[in-house]
Amino acid sequence: MSGPILSDEKTTSTSKRITIDPITRLEGHGKIEIFLDDSGNVANAYWQVPELRGFEAFCIGRSVEDLNKITSRLCGVCPGAHHLCSTKALDGVFNATPPPTAIKLRELFYAAHYVHSHIAHFYALAAADFVLGPCAPAATRNILGVVGAVGVPVGAEVIKHRSYAQKVQEVIGGKATHPVCGLPGGMARVITEDERKKFEAMSKSCVEFAKFTQDIFANVVLKNKDYLDIILNKDIYYQETYNLGTVDKNDKINFYDGTQKMIDPDGNEVARYKDKEYTKYIAEHVLPWSYEKFCYFKPVGWKGLVAGKDSGIYRATPLSRLNVSKGFTTPLAQAEY
Amino acid sequence: MSKIKLAHYWGAGCGGCDVALLDIDEKILGVAEIADIVFWPIAVDGKVKDVEAMPDKSITCTLFNGAVRNSENEHMAKLLRQKSAIVVSFGSCACYGGIPGLGNLTNRKEILELVYTKLPTSDNVERVFPQAETHTKDGDLELPVLYDTVMTLDQVIDVDYYMPGCPPTTNLINEFLGIVTAHVKEGAPLPPKGAMIASQKTLCDECKRKKAVKKIDRIYMPHEIAIDPDKCMLEQGIICLGSSTRAGCGAKCLEGNQPCRGCMGPTAEVLDQGGSMLSALASVYRVEDNEALLSEDNIATLMAQVKDPMGTFYCYTLPKSIIKRKVKEKKQVKKEV
Ligand code: SF4
Ligand code: SF4
Ligand code: SF4
Repeated sequence: MSGPILSDEKTTSTSKRITIDPITRLEGHGKIEIFLDDSGNVANAYWQVPELRGFEAFCIGRSVEDLNKITSRLCGVCPGAHHLCSTKALDGVFNATPPPTAIKLRELFYAAHYVHSHIAHFYALAAADFVLGPCAPAATRNILGVVGAVGVPVGAEVIKHRSYAQKVQEVIGGKATHPVCGLPGGMARVITEDERKKFEAMSKSCVEFAKFTQDIFANVVLKNKDYLDIILNKDIYYQETYNLGTVDKNDKINFYDGTQKMIDPDGNEVARYKDKEYTKYIAEHVLPWSYEKFCYFKPVGWKGLVAGKDSGIYRATPLSRLNVSKGFTTPLAQAEY
Repeated sequence: MSKIKLAHYWGAGCGGCDVALLDIDEKILGVAEIADIVFWPIAVDGKVKDVEAMPDKSITCTLFNGAVRNSENEHMAKLLRQKSAIVVSFGSCACYGGIPGLGNLTNRKEILELVYTKLPTSDNVERVFPQAETHTKDGDLELPVLYDTVMTLDQVIDVDYYMPGCPPTTNLINEFLGIVTAHVKEGAPLPPKGAMIASQKTLCDECKRKKAVKKIDRIYMPHEIAIDPDKCMLEQGIICLGSSTRAGCGAKCLEGNQPCRGCMGPTAEVLDQGGSMLSALASVYRVEDNEALLSEDNIATLMAQVKDPMGTFYCYTLPKSIIKRKVKEKKQVKKEV
């Protein structure tokens, strides 16, 4: 397998505007408008979200018990996250604490969801950029191109493990995409001993596959100096913002439950709150050129689309989760932290 | 054999239909053998301008998921229709409006007001709304116009085939790909125009739960009783749309011990899924022995137990139903963004 292609064929353009429509290899609609100055450098760029479906409005009037099925349709790549988030809100509405078994099932379901979603992201959406390289021909920059580069046997492993993760979710949730399992204070069905055994075998295989994936990332990206020169260049891929993530009582990463921790760009904790209190900390600004609203950390306030400590802009991403926490609760993940 | 050209695009959807295509697992490699994927924003790097440059009818088959909610969805539907020999209305949003179709219970003005000014997190005293055109110091930026009414794909363009489901199941997708492959490789005939790629049966035929002819005294929400996993939901007093819904999903939600909410849309015989379900519900409701039909009082008591009739009976099919949308105000608001 040859290395990623990191430099472009040089082309000249007389246009002072570059339109990327649509942005690709992620869920959702988006476009980017880039404006160039007289010397051909980027003067400004706008990332626009051209869609709105209006869930906020049409959820009003629905049976509250149905909302976790409705809101999962916010995103079909991470429906499990929306389903569980809404289910937890239902627990609150009904003031019903789920029994330990239900919580374990939810955590298992969500772990499987994570495996599916991260395999899909890593291999199907992002891998083209690091395996083939950001400057590889556009027609090859996709999952089929990636399979072409890594070989069909590796491709088959990717497919198999994502499929395992989908299977676990389907058994627990009825459907992997748009599950129906969450109920106020509980879950819709139990798993059998036979199913548990199958899950265990699939999970073990997924752990091995995760190690394999770490190796790919280390070999293709972390050991590639040319690549690191690009991604570690503070002039290109760098913004200092606030960071938000969910942590447990020991400040370790938790995916299912915990408190929200916000840190400033220097790493100091500036807020810690329970989910219900979010309106005290988060607000949404509106700009006329995007349907997407712009969330910011309320105590600092909206100061425009600028980074830094004086601006309320924050990240709530896998990266910010790593930034806010003191590590993982499982040994293999902790070893990579 | 030269490869055929495939496209998969999304209107107002969630990406779950796109993930569904990945869920065919290793068969996606078979697709790559017979087809070049020329446009698929979630996974492939093609742009709208590439599609615009393609000759008319040069895309063999476009799978279009998502409803038509704004001017961009409509423009892309028309563009892809022009460029494609076959267009498949893929998934419940495209076929029936789906969950985004619940937007027809409200309207454009209410959605914009709520989303941008009235939420607890809104910070918008200036009352800024997304605009069709915004003049910035760098140049003009455009956004699609949000429509008042959500439409199905076939309310906007001519559609060749329909594949319902939220999302369509792997079986249905494989069935269709099998048809296309046989057509490409052996010249096998394609189904007649307008064909529904789904079962002709009713979901109850596919459901393994035991059905007795039992009458119910009241309606329960799924979390209110311990559901017997072997018995018909409806006969336990839980509204299940099985009898009005097309088979083909494998009764997945029932496997998850939850009722069907009708994402496959109405059966072949049924015109209006919600209307049909209402009569099915009335037929299991207990009446006094000496009466053959439900009295008006009975109907009123029955309906009083359904908290959200529109969301319950038309969860996925409102734009395609007889009702289509909440009645518009007499005085039409002028079109503006
Ligand atoms: S039909 Fe369902 S899975 Fe497909 S786009 Fe619509 S909401 Fe998503
Ligand atoms: S009504 Fe629902 S539970 Fe009963 S047989 Fe039909 S699909 Fe199955
Ligand atoms: S059981 Fe009903 S709601 Fe569930 S997937 Fe099947 S058709 Fe859709």
